[in-house]
Amino acid sequence: MMIQFTAELVRGAFHFQMDCLLSDPVTGIIGASGSGKTTFLHMIAGLLHPTAGRIVLDEEILFDSDLGISVPPDRRRLGLVFQDCRLFPHLSVAGNLSYGERFLSSGERRFNTRAIVELLELESLLNQRPDQLSGGQAQRVAIGRALLASPRMLLLDEPLASLDWRLKQQIMPFLRRVRDATHIPMLYVSHDSKEILDLTDRVVVLEDGKVIGAGPVIDIIKDQRVLQQLRLQGLVNVLPLAILSLDTAGGLTHLQLRTASAEINSKPVEISGPILDVRAGSEIHAILRPEDIALAGSHIEGVSIQNQVCGQVVRLIHAHDRDMCVVDIGIPLVVEISPSGAKTLGLAAGNRIWCLFKSSALQYLDAGSTTDSQAQ
Amino acid sequence: MYWLSPEEWVVLGLSARVALCCVAVVAIPGIACGWLLARTRFPGKAVVDAILHAPLVMPPVVTGYLLLVLLGRKGLLGEALYRHFGFSIAFTWKAAVVASAVMAFPLVVRAVRIAMEMADPKLDEAARCLGAGPLRTFLTVTLPLSRQGIIAGLVLAFARSLGEFGATIVFAGNIQGETRTLPLAVYSYMQMPGKDAAALRLVLASIVLSLGALVVSELMNRRYHHKLQGGVG
Repeated sequence: MMIQFTAELVRGAFHFQMDCLLSDPVTGIIGASGSGKTTFLHMIAGLLHPTAGRIVLDEEILFDSDLGISVPPDRRRLGLVFQDCRLFPHLSVAGNLSYGERFLSSGERRFNTRAIVELLELESLLNQRPDQLSGGQAQRVAIGRALLASPRMLLLDEPLASLDWRLKQQIMPFLRRVRDATHIPMLYVSHDSKEILDLTDRVVVLEDGKVIGAGPVIDIIKDQRVLQQLRLQGLVNVLPLAILSLDTAGGLTHLQLRTASAEINSKPVEISGPILDVRAGSEIHAILRPEDIALAGSHIEGVSIQNQVCGQVVRLIHAHDRDMCVVDIGIPLVVEISPSGAKTLGLAAGNRIWCLFKSSALQYLDAGSTTDSQAQ
Repeated sequence: MYWLSPEEWVVLGLSARVALCCVAVVAIPGIACGWLLARTRFPGKAVVDAILHAPLVMPPVVTGYLLLVLLGRKGLLGEALYRHFGFSIAFTWKAAVVASAVMAFPLVVRAVRIAMEMADPKLDEAARCLGAGPLRTFLTVTLPLSRQGIIAGLVLAFARSLGEFGATIVFAGNIQGETRTLPLAVYSYMQMPGKDAAALRLVLASIVLSLGALVVSELMNRRYHHKLQGGVG
């Protein structure tokens, strides 16, 4: 799945001009509010027409101002999930879910209703009306409804923006499930890096209606503007973890970093996190903010900090007030330190370094979900 | 004494027939115009709006007169109709339908327009993105969402038609068994000696019918508002 996107739109003082090529299975679109994220997504969906430009999905031209082509939204078959859900209030949950199916021929049907209902845990909601649902439930229904219209791609427009952190934690595992179980390509728009980095490390960063960076996060933060923008939107590390055991008396959960490569640390990396009521063996995700990590030249004895993880400096980026250091601990970890701290340590690419962080610095993304990753 | 005479039953039956036909005639154009005003933008929209609402503010007799000028046997359109097709609607029960339809039309447009303005157009966008074309979106989202308002508007049209006097008497006349609807019959009986009781019986029948229609419309409106305030999304 590939989208070639070139478009221009002028509206008063807002000048939108974007040029990009999207080919990753999941791409995050990050930017502050007013940066043009929703404009971008609505142009792809066909709800908004560029003044000039060309949008091509694989071989199909969706929009071309020169050729005078503009495929209407109902024929683009792109599932758009809105921030405000937009469930049909006159239909039950089941009616909402099946709404898009009636417009499909049998050959176009990609998903089985029951499978999607199970995937998003909607069984108990089927007979309810949208006004009886909580915000999180409504958004799960909206995602299911979009999937059951069998789109070629899922476009998510800040689906979690109106939810509080606790509810976000409950929905994020579902988004990951959708990604892993359906393999449907996704474009995920958000002003919150956490949500995006939980799903993918491939992002497009927008600022004032323009693309300022596109690619894997740890590569594009070399650019000062991108780094600045990502920090504003809450740049975080997302750690894939497996639960080893629970130490209730010690107030800790023993975790292990799930990683493909074991080049840096010969043994699996073990990490301690706050108490989490999930059975051992479960896989979860946690975020770790770059400013919550300290660096040390060697392992330190006699400190209360629970986590000391060895890694290798991949890259050092100088921002105007802080330095960002990318450390490979099996996964790339972004660490924020002061320039003087970097100087004291004599940081340079290739150095072995210890990353220190308190167990309480870890914030679980999956609290409330106990069945994550068993979706397949 | 207390029960309607056969002649009065004819009046009642005619009124009901005229009112139902009026509702049938205004329903689709009324919904279309309501949608046009609620959901579209076009140059001259304010003018169209004003023309559609004119019968609400004009004296009904004037509306009846204009209809006669337009559709009478010697009227601008009526003459051609009579010459080519050999029929004229003026002074027939169909004229009573047309007269009350013109009077009731703005009420339907207004009710539909308000209902469709309350139905969130963002839901239309959602439907489009789920594969529904413009017509299917209208039929499956816009229309059901404004259903209560549409029904309320049609009930109002029914009541308006039952009460229509001025335009009807000018354009359709006051012919017993043909165009003498309830209000016309009440008026006529009041002029005739010894018909006071008949007039009173028809007045009571009118009150029952009109209030009944109004109560039905009000109940539907309340249910509708209650539903919307119950929270959408």
